[in-house]
Amino acid sequence: MEIEIISFGQITEFINNQKIEVDGIADTDAFKQYLEDRFPALKGIKYKLALNKNIVQQNTEILNQATIAIMPPFSGG
Amino acid sequence: MSEKKIKNIFVDGPIAPAFIADSIAKHKSKTAIGGHSIFMGQVRKDEIDSKFVAAIDYTAYEDLALEKMHQIREDIFEKYPLNCMHIYHSLGRVKAGEICLFVFTSSAHRKPAIAACSEVVDRLKAELPIWGKEIFEDETHQWKENI
Repeated sequence: MEIEIISFGQITEFINNQKIEVDGIADTDAFKQYLEDRFPALKGIKYKLALNKNIVQQNTEILNQATIAIMPPFSGG
Repeated sequence: MSEKKIKNIFVDGPIAPAFIADSIAKHKSKTAIGGHSIFMGQVRKDEIDSKFVAAIDYTAYEDLALEKMHQIREDIFEKYPLNCMHIYHSLGRVKAGEICLFVFTSSAHRKPAIAACSEVVDRLKAELPIWGKEIFEDETHQWKENI
């Protein structure tokens, strides 16, 4: 299945926006594991995911063609 | 369900003092208003490890930020008897000393305007997906963190 990844803030420095073709990632917990394995720098950062523009509060199923944003702590204002 | 009219809050670059003055002037015809409250955020020339912040470069997850701002706006209008509320946040580079955030609330009497203004600022700093990259005078940077 295809997942579009978009990153923000300091995370843009080591994860580019990209589309990935993966199998076996059923939900956001599995996706986090995938990300942290592929981008170990993420382990040291507090981050949140947004799945199709909804901030992920609990483990959520991922369907094909999802867009997932990886967001470090906010610092607006 | 309320009708969803998502307002834009983002301004390219700094918010000009003349824009703020105009915004105030536009309320002349809204004669039910008796009190305005305004908050302006200004980029601070912080000193970090003997380097000074020259500017902040703001980016946002705009769609999500605008949806979240819409929810905050609805919550605030439900909670306080406001006549109006205007919110502007910069994107891109804002130099030290320039304005990056403008929140403007108005009500018949002062207290709701003041309380709503303060709550909007707190909530938008905590809840909107916006990021500030502090650019130092030597063009190195660090990512801002809200305290």
